[in-house]
Amino acid sequence: MQLVHDGQAGAFEVLFDRHCDAAYSLAYRMCGRRSLAEDVVQEAFFSLWRSGVQYDPARGSVRAWLLRVVHNRTIDAFRRSAVKDGRDVHDDAAAERLPATELTDVEVERREDVLQVRDALEGLPTEQRQVIELAYFGGFSHSQIAEMLHLPPGTVKGRMRLALSKLRLTLGDRAGSIV
Amino acid sequence: MSVVEPHDCSGDAAAYVLGALEPAEAEAFRRHLDSCVVCRDEMAAFERVIDSLPAAVPQYRAPTSLRRRVLRDAREQAKQQARASAPPPRRLHFAPRTVLAGAGAFAAVLIALVFALSGGGSSGPRTITAAVLGHGTATVRVGGGRAELILNHFPAPPAGEVYEVWLQRGSSAPSPTRTLFSVTSQGTADVGVTGKLSGVSRLLVTPERAGGSPRPTHPAVIVARLA
Repeated sequence: MQLVHDGQAGAFEVLFDRHCDAAYSLAYRMCGRRSLAEDVVQEAFFSLWRSGVQYDPARGSVRAWLLRVVHNRTIDAFRRSAVKDGRDVHDDAAAERLPATELTDVEVERREDVLQVRDALEGLPTEQRQVIELAYFGGFSHSQIAEMLHLPPGTVKGRMRLALSKLRLTLGDRAGSIV
Repeated sequence: MSVVEPHDCSGDAAAYVLGALEPAEAEAFRRHLDSCVVCRDEMAAFERVIDSLPAAVPQYRAPTSLRRRVLRDAREQAKQQARASAPPPRRLHFAPRTVLAGAGAFAAVLIALVFALSGGGSSGPRTITAAVLGHGTATVRVGGGRAELILNHFPAPPAGEVYEVWLQRGSSAPSPTRTLFSVTSQGTADVGVTGKLSGVSRLLVTPERAGGSPRPTHPAVIVARLA
């Protein structure tokens, strides 16, 4: 990371190759559109390269940190465009989804971790899972979610808090090491 | 490990780490963190959970075209930086002799800046200083057929509005882009401009209603001459 921060293109290339699939997958899951996901990932990596944002090892792995940047960039893109269509993935995005043969080996290698996180999410009560899906993967704010679900904003925040607390219990010490 | 106990705060840590607070709420929460160890601990615990969530997403291979674009831009910028820090070329006829006579690192940087602003006669990235109405600075970085707008100390758009980027070709009416943005609380923004740049003579920014407008409804607050 220090080499990237120092502006070494080779180090940046290694960083990109190591994490671009995960970054793209997250952005694609959030955006639901390939072109927008590409724009977000490009912006995220390029902002890291250009501005040399400092990575703090105390706050997790490089991958986790990078995915946080992608997540934040995607939300920024949503909020500045005010374009709501295409954010609820799996429908209009279907035509652009890559074929199953494009699944990377990484997913296979991490299947156990993947299943654990998916099981933890599926183990949440429906109303809690719903707010996590809408907030984290949908990029909606708590007030937007409250409006969508016809709930007081405080209820939405409360469900978010309960959901994360339960996920924390379920994932235990593995939380944070699974990315 | 136990479920985080409730306390007197607003309970915004979960919404914050999920990215679900509105910008002003997020800023207020960050200030609150300075004085609340409970929320700091809660946020740190939740961040670890959040970091795990991308694992639940189906994994796809990033398109090779994306890789090409990102790495090409990175290499171009590295070359540009190398040029900026290198000694001045001997045959830069537009470099003022008096400055060269002064020599030293300052001259090298100055010449590189002139080179960059003038386009340098190469197809590499260019950095263009834009004219700004009011406070702040704006630069446009053009390279690889893409433009990036970088703002500093720039005021936020009026309430309920966003900034919209327009591309103008010659004397024709400005064309809207998909690029809508605001600035951070520090007045900064780093915006990748969508749309093809071929034939574009000016990049404009106007404040518009949220969601954008098909045509400019306000005078431009930023004007950058690209050609």
